[in-house]
Amino acid sequence: MLVLAAASSGAGVFFQQIENGVTLGAMYALVALGYTLVYGIIELINFAHGDVFMWGTLVTFVVVQRLGVSSPPSGVGLVALLFGLLIIGMVVSGVINVSIERLAYKPLRRAPRLAPLIAAIGVSFILENVAQLWRGSVQVAFPTIFPVVGITIGSVRVNALDIFIVVFAVVLMYGLDRFIRGTRMGKAMRATAQDPEAAALMGVNVDRTISITFLIGGALAGAAALFYNMYFGQVWYLTGFQLGLIAFTAAVLGGIGNIYGAVLGGFLIGLVQALAVQYLPDGFNWSTAIVFAILVLILVVRPSGLLGQQVPDKV
Amino acid sequence: MSTPENMLELRGVSKSFGGLTAVDSVDLDVKRGQIFSIIGPNGAGKTTVFNLITGIYKPTAGDILLDGLSLSTLTPDRVVKRGITRTFQNIRLFNNMTVLENVLVGLHTTLPGNLFSIVLHLPNYTRAERAAHERAIELLSFFGPSLVDRRDEYAANLSYAERRRVEIARALGAGPKLLLLDEPTAGMNDAETAEAVQYIQQLRTAFNLTILLIEHKLQVTMGISDRIAVLDYGRKIAEGSAAEIQQNEQVIEAYLGRKATVE
Amino acid sequence: MSVRVQQAKDKRTTSASVRSRVDAYLDGTMVGKNPLRWYITGWRLGLIAVIGALIFPQVAGSQSLIVTAITIGIYVMLALGLNIVVGFAGLLDLGYVAFYVIGSYTAAVGSFGAIQLSNNQIVHIPIFPFWLLLALGAVLAGLFGALLGAPTLRLRGDYLAIVTLGFGEIVPTVFQNLPYFYGQLGISALPPGDINLPTGTISFSNPLDYSPFYYLTLALVVLITVVVILLRDSSVGRAWVAIREDETAAAASGVNLVRTKLLAFGLGATIGGVGGALNAAFTTSITPLDFNFIISITILIMIVLGGLGSVPGVIVGAILLRFFDVYLLGQINDWVHKFPLVANAGTPLHFLAAVDFNASKYLIYGVILVAMILLRPQGLIPNIRRKMELKGEGAAPESFSAVGIVEREEQGLSMGGAGSEDETLYEGAGSDAQRQEEGGE
Repeated sequence: MLVLAAASSGAGVFFQQIENGVTLGAMYALVALGYTLVYGIIELINFAHGDVFMWGTLVTFVVVQRLGVSSPPSGVGLVALLFGLLIIGMVVSGVINVSIERLAYKPLRRAPRLAPLIAAIGVSFILENVAQLWRGSVQVAFPTIFPVVGITIGSVRVNALDIFIVVFAVVLMYGLDRFIRGTRMGKAMRATAQDPEAAALMGVNVDRTISITFLIGGALAGAAALFYNMYFGQVWYLTGFQLGLIAFTAAVLGGIGNIYGAVLGGFLIGLVQALAVQYLPDGFNWSTAIVFAILVLILVVRPSGLLGQQVPDKV
Repeated sequence: MSTPENMLELRGVSKSFGGLTAVDSVDLDVKRGQIFSIIGPNGAGKTTVFNLITGIYKPTAGDILLDGLSLSTLTPDRVVKRGITRTFQNIRLFNNMTVLENVLVGLHTTLPGNLFSIVLHLPNYTRAERAAHERAIELLSFFGPSLVDRRDEYAANLSYAERRRVEIARALGAGPKLLLLDEPTAGMNDAETAEAVQYIQQLRTAFNLTILLIEHKLQVTMGISDRIAVLDYGRKIAEGSAAEIQQNEQVIEAYLGRKATVE
Repeated sequence: MSVRVQQAKDKRTTSASVRSRVDAYLDGTMVGKNPLRWYITGWRLGLIAVIGALIFPQVAGSQSLIVTAITIGIYVMLALGLNIVVGFAGLLDLGYVAFYVIGSYTAAVGSFGAIQLSNNQIVHIPIFPFWLLLALGAVLAGLFGALLGAPTLRLRGDYLAIVTLGFGEIVPTVFQNLPYFYGQLGISALPPGDINLPTGTISFSNPLDYSPFYYLTLALVVLITVVVILLRDSSVGRAWVAIREDETAAAASGVNLVRTKLLAFGLGATIGGVGGALNAAFTTSITPLDFNFIISITILIMIVLGGLGSVPGVIVGAILLRFFDVYLLGQINDWVHKFPLVANAGTPLHFLAAVDFNASKYLIYGVILVAMILLRPQGLIPNIRRKMELKGEGAAPESFSAVGIVEREEQGLSMGGAGSEDETLYEGAGSDAQRQEEGGE
């Protein structure tokens, strides 16, 4: 069906959407990683994760505004700005995520499932409303800080921004992979995800491991936040709501708790969305519904996702 | 072959989880009125067998029959309606419900769940509810007056042995013909164990039960069982009377070859 | 300790001493007795509340008070409905607003006899009286609830929450985007028709007297409360709580998980539909923008505040939150701004002058939700359950106090709570190794 669509609208359009999808997917993958890391370690869906992402967009926007940047700087200035914003975004989101964990989730670790879930919803609500009170309800334009240049391959336009996003996202994912597999803390994270009690008995500081997981998950979302701002150009206090759902679906699609799954899921969903926008009438509005339908489908048909293992409940 | 004597039959029952075979081609015949024990080292698949019988898992191969009728496609609540209930290895009571309410849930299948009867408070409902309360107290009183006196305590507040008894009372609520007890003396000291052995035997007579038991304490098993089956690595390696099992070389190897806990 | 043995082989015959013990116990309870006797005379506070509610319109100073009471009543209904799903059965439904929407639109569409499509075409449909629409809205919402429940039955709590959240978003969006319902402009609804009695006409469309609507709301609230209580104390109610506590054990005790969960969803949805229909007939104008996630959350906050799973609790929670919203918020705003330490520039609290508490409403809601779940998860009025019955009639009402805190062992959500000794599990185990690990890194 896609091939037919490509043939009729032109292969160029099709591949353009592929290119868009990959860029979107990179961002979704970063946010999905946050969900999957947290779920893997404490089996909780961090409802507020989308809003943590949103705060990353908010703060980077405010910084850009305060700096008075309204058009792309050049050379060293650009590099400094981008790195600075990246650091800021990652730190802000990471810190917010850890704070949520320490204040709202940690006390409820022994409570029945319903409690931390409700807490997460409450936190999400708080984050959204503080953002609204601070910066208002209206969508604000994020200034163009990235040079609008690109190359055209065939009939596909590839922007430098897209390349930047994908490259950096992949760098971060690779960094995460090396961290998880190569460092002591990474090992601690994996151990805690498998069996917190055993990990504790082996000397792992479970509390700290969990906090660091939240920090990393938040930081990744913070990076995605900057990319999102530059790509979409709109800052809004409710961004987290929708993006959260999309990224969560990506994480579930790939297999919640599985890092590679989150990445795979992110790119898949990005592609789906890009194609939906192009080939469906009123595609953008319906794309959220489509993503949601995918979520329900996965949960009903194969809840462990693409890369997850079917683990039966221990009775 | 299915005879009226055989209450529960497992025929070539297997269960695999992905690559792991937890139960491998197990055959079992439990006769009416028996106390039948399943023993074996940890991880031998005993609880999995219970889960298969009670419908929590579906067998990957083979069939399970109760009085000649297949159980393997039934959901757990339907298995209860056919006449099989169970207790769990690590006592699963409803902690935020009282002792009485726990047992009342056990009586769930005896009550009409008809919404109209409930909402309109029809006499058939109120009568059934009253009868259920009576029955619940009766069941608790099997263990003596203390549980009856504590019927409005939240289950979480009871001692371990008391919780075990409440769980059994709950399992009796549905009026089963076959009762599955998963390590009923786990965590009990000698005195409590002796008590438990006593009431398990009395349960059989008082409630006309056939009892299937998973038990780790060998002196309990040997003393109480009419027949014993031994599982190891998911396979049945021996079956017979207590005397026969004690002499069986494979069984001895299975237990002593690896460090199993023999209390 | 000796174990008594039942001699009887036949289950139905019991020894005399057991029977008399059973009777003695049952006499002290309400099992098998007329429930109305209990709900009205046994529960003194309930009686006072009902009487108070009945005379309220007569003593209320203005129509706006009555209007507020009606909206409170609708929220109470919704709280009772959501309480079945979340409080009793423990299923986190974040899309409750969907049922409310369905009820509202059913009542609205059905009351007019004609729908004007956004392309100005007119579609004629029969006019239904409000009472029928009320039932229809309830039924449709209930059906949708069961429909929503079906695929979600096996989902774990987290996933269930997200899926219901999604449905809660999609349903209002559907109503917004379909060409039949005028999109964002919304549609109108008609109030119930006048009832002509020999003693005079009861009119629901009289802007000078909302008391008929008030009594209608009150009647529905009381009806729903009674139904909920009856179910709560029945096998169905126990099955719900059993599912919440331990699904596997519940199924192993004979509870049909599918049917019981669907019942919870369906019933909660039906009540939501009733609230929706009432809402449409009362406000006579509904737009999709009225219906959003915020409503779902607001009701969740009400039941968490009041007490998950506690009928008096969620009623009080709904009343409190609404009261806070309508009256207290404005007062707090004025009061804080007039406070000298805030009003005068240069004082440390001056920044509060810029804070508009009215606009911060939802932030406060969020804080309430998190605070409650962290600090008092059993809610303001926890579920006291059967303890009431044992006191029998004529007991002093020391087993509960008005809107005060009912003391009950911390059973509500079996919380470890902040600072429980369990928290030291990891810190303790890791202390030596912790130093090693830190040294190594």
